[in-house]
Amino acid sequence: MALRWSRLSPQLALTPALAVTAVAFVGAIGWTIYLSFTRSRRLPEYTIDWSEWGRQYSRLFRDDAWMISLRNLITLGLGSALAIVFGFVLAAMIDKEKRGESLFRTVFLYPLAVSLIVTGAAWRWMFNPDMGIENFLHQIGLTGLNFSWLAHADTAMYGIILASVWQSSGFYMALMLAGLKSINSEIWSAAKLDGVPLWRLYIEIVIPMMKFTFITCAILLSLGVIKAYDVIVAMTNGGPGQSTYVPAYFTIQALSSSGNLGYASAAAVMMLVITAVVFLPLVLLTAWQQRRRAEAVK
Amino acid sequence: MSELTVAQRAAGAEIAIDRAPYFPRRKKMITGRSIAVLVFLSICALFFAVPLYVVVVTSFKTMAQIREGAIFAPPSMWTLEAWDYAWNQACSGINCNGLKVGFWNSVAILFPSLVLSIALSMVTGYALALWNVRWAGPFLFLLFICAFVPFQIIMFPLISMTSTLKVYGSIWGVALVHSVLSMPVLTLIFRNYYKDVPQEILSAAIMDSGSFWRIFFEIIVPMSGNILIVILILQITSVWNDYLIGVTFGGFNAQPMTVNLANLITISTGTVAYNQNMAAALLTAIPPLVIYFLVGKLFVQGITAGAIKG
Repeated sequence: MALRWSRLSPQLALTPALAVTAVAFVGAIGWTIYLSFTRSRRLPEYTIDWSEWGRQYSRLFRDDAWMISLRNLITLGLGSALAIVFGFVLAAMIDKEKRGESLFRTVFLYPLAVSLIVTGAAWRWMFNPDMGIENFLHQIGLTGLNFSWLAHADTAMYGIILASVWQSSGFYMALMLAGLKSINSEIWSAAKLDGVPLWRLYIEIVIPMMKFTFITCAILLSLGVIKAYDVIVAMTNGGPGQSTYVPAYFTIQALSSSGNLGYASAAAVMMLVITAVVFLPLVLLTAWQQRRRAEAVK
Repeated sequence: MSELTVAQRAAGAEIAIDRAPYFPRRKKMITGRSIAVLVFLSICALFFAVPLYVVVVTSFKTMAQIREGAIFAPPSMWTLEAWDYAWNQACSGINCNGLKVGFWNSVAILFPSLVLSIALSMVTGYALALWNVRWAGPFLFLLFICAFVPFQIIMFPLISMTSTLKVYGSIWGVALVHSVLSMPVLTLIFRNYYKDVPQEILSAAIMDSGSFWRIFFEIIVPMSGNILIVILILQITSVWNDYLIGVTFGGFNAQPMTVNLANLITISTGTVAYNQNMAAALLTAIPPLVIYFLVGKLFVQGITAGAIKG
């Protein structure tokens, strides 16, 4: 139940938040969408040439750097999904084996506390071709191994994926651990009584029971991947060449280095579209969940 | 409204639900499976710990030893030279006054952002959760969407607005943008916390002729200790670790520490002093790491509650 005492004060108190939302979010998004139809270069121009309103977009999809960005986005998304798998395995093991739980949790989660610039700096150093891990591998005789991934256009993305997985696995482990703890503890003893092997229990019972946790993780991961920017700056700055461009990096590059406002706006609108595509399932999922809960109450 | 349920089911369980108590039983001998699991977990722990180890040892080495190339070897001679250099002389762009400039900028950005963002979202969350505002539902949904919007789509308009307000390139500009961008998520967290305030307390408060602001200051603020500390930790770490807002709105004079660090490590001219880079990285990482190792549990609660922040 909500209070019905005063009508004015709460509405007054909500004014700042409402203004911020209207101006800094809704208004700003509209502004950027509008700009994406103009020919704005370094400074905004507000005339739209209706005969070719989509020129920034058609240019965008002919731009190799943008196509590389989209491809890298998918690569990064699929690669980072390893963090969910890894997080689940770690969570399942910690959950079953109680020994050292808090120690392992602390170690797996600390990368989350530091800035992605720091993470990038550390991994950039370890991937150093002359003095980094590759050098170490060669010194101990594994001369066939190559670990200077960031230096080569075809492997640089994998370097970024490795750093991202390192950074975020602990987070998915925490979410999975929470999911595992909410599972009824009786199924473990029931399975033991029935002599069901543990791996079958996980695959056939536990994972299906945790499908909401998995979907949540997948959506959070996708949103994180779309926003990936800091780690790219710190590790490769988009290079070698343009091989590690992602949409977030491309957009900011178009705005700050090339000074092309209309073009950057078009790229930003595409980012919003990609976010919406990922976001829609979350809304639908929540609605479905609510309906299911409502039915369960009935 | 419970759009948040998916993320929060996962997050909330961490806080609220513990495994049902088991019956006491004899202490078992350690099984082969347990040993295998522990070995696997230890190897994973090593994977997580190695970068920190490498960064720490590198920061204490001399460049002469680093050039020999044994990345895992401990320093043959421990030296604080690189730390001193990173703090006092490292270059960020054309300024060579070290990371201490960025450190104090980060501190100066932190306090106004904390006060502004928490004050704004706490009041908003309270009003939306407990008072009968007709458009509360649609507004919450809008906030939920805003929490996911990529920064790039509002970047240029925000730059324009902050220049119009004459705060672009200042500490206040960066703090203001932090407060604006964190408002949706923090409001949703506060609102979800306040909507469970027990009915009896509120009815009593109304009887007591409590006005909106009196109820807020006399009842709501005193009972918000737990959530405030979680949000405080979430905000401190996210403001401190931010790079994008700092680099976009900091101009030349208000760059936070992460921007200095990024400038230092991405520099491509001259010989790169890796020991200084790693010392700089550690200096940037120490404040959030200290918080994490002191109050890790609260940190995890904050991160999972703010998970929608992505």
